[in-house]
Amino acid sequence: MKKLAFTLFPAITIALMIWGYYQAIYVAPEEQTMHEAQRIFYYHVPSAMVAFLFFAVSLCGSIGYLTWRRSKPDWAQASDAWALAGAEVGVVFCTVVLITGPLWGRRAWGIWWTWDARLTTTLVLWLIYVSYLLLRRFAAGPQMQTLAAVLGIFGALDVPIVYMSNRWWRTQHPAPVFGGGPDSGIKDPAMLAAFGWNVLAWLCWGLLILFLRYHVERQHQRYAAAEAEEALTSA
Amino acid sequence: MDERAILDHQFVVAAYAITWILQLGYLAWLGLKWRSEKRNAERRSHQTR
Repeated sequence: MKKLAFTLFPAITIALMIWGYYQAIYVAPEEQTMHEAQRIFYYHVPSAMVAFLFFAVSLCGSIGYLTWRRSKPDWAQASDAWALAGAEVGVVFCTVVLITGPLWGRRAWGIWWTWDARLTTTLVLWLIYVSYLLLRRFAAGPQMQTLAAVLGIFGALDVPIVYMSNRWWRTQHPAPVFGGGPDSGIKDPAMLAAFGWNVLAWLCWGLLILFLRYHVERQHQRYAAAEAEEALTSA
Repeated sequence: MDERAILDHQFVVAAYAITWILQLGYLAWLGLKWRSEKRNAERRSHQTR
């Protein structure tokens, strides 16, 4: 059953990715003011949504690690692996957002970048999680996981600020697509469908690589623990 | 096709291509890391036997 799920889920994900691409490029109509450049939206917005979700996974993992690091070491290690997986995959998606956004901005606004609240807070979010990954890569010693968990929690505080930035401040970035007032939302059903399929496809893709990253990290933890135990017994 | 439409198309292609290069590149890196961890685990199990 487990083996079937491991084969079926990637197959469904690939099918969804192809279907999402087809919907975005061939089915969704061309937007009247932004023309074809608007199609970048079908990859940009779902990537941002998935990045936020995975930073939330990292937040939960970091809280879990700090909660159980003394009482339940194995749970703490699993939480730490989720925190790392969430942060790393979140950074990949956030990088996509920070590259596709300026590509769209260049066509829509005529500029690659502007220091408005939405763009700046997103860049800060990316920088915080890149520093989280650098800390995990280069710091050593028993305090590393604790420091990383604190930084992971600190970084996640920026997510609601990014989300609310174009509601709180006047920004160059477009108004929220959903939940931004009576005029928000996608009116064309074909555009809405293309958007929905791409959200689902990117979510499945993200979950696939998130589970894979978690699995690799758990494998690494087991190997490191066995090495440490061997070093202690041979000393 | 006018110049604006051509440029719009090129930007869409660039955005989609970069997205896929990043995602598949990360997946490939993850695959290499998985293989390396697997080898480490196998080497350890041979040593402890």
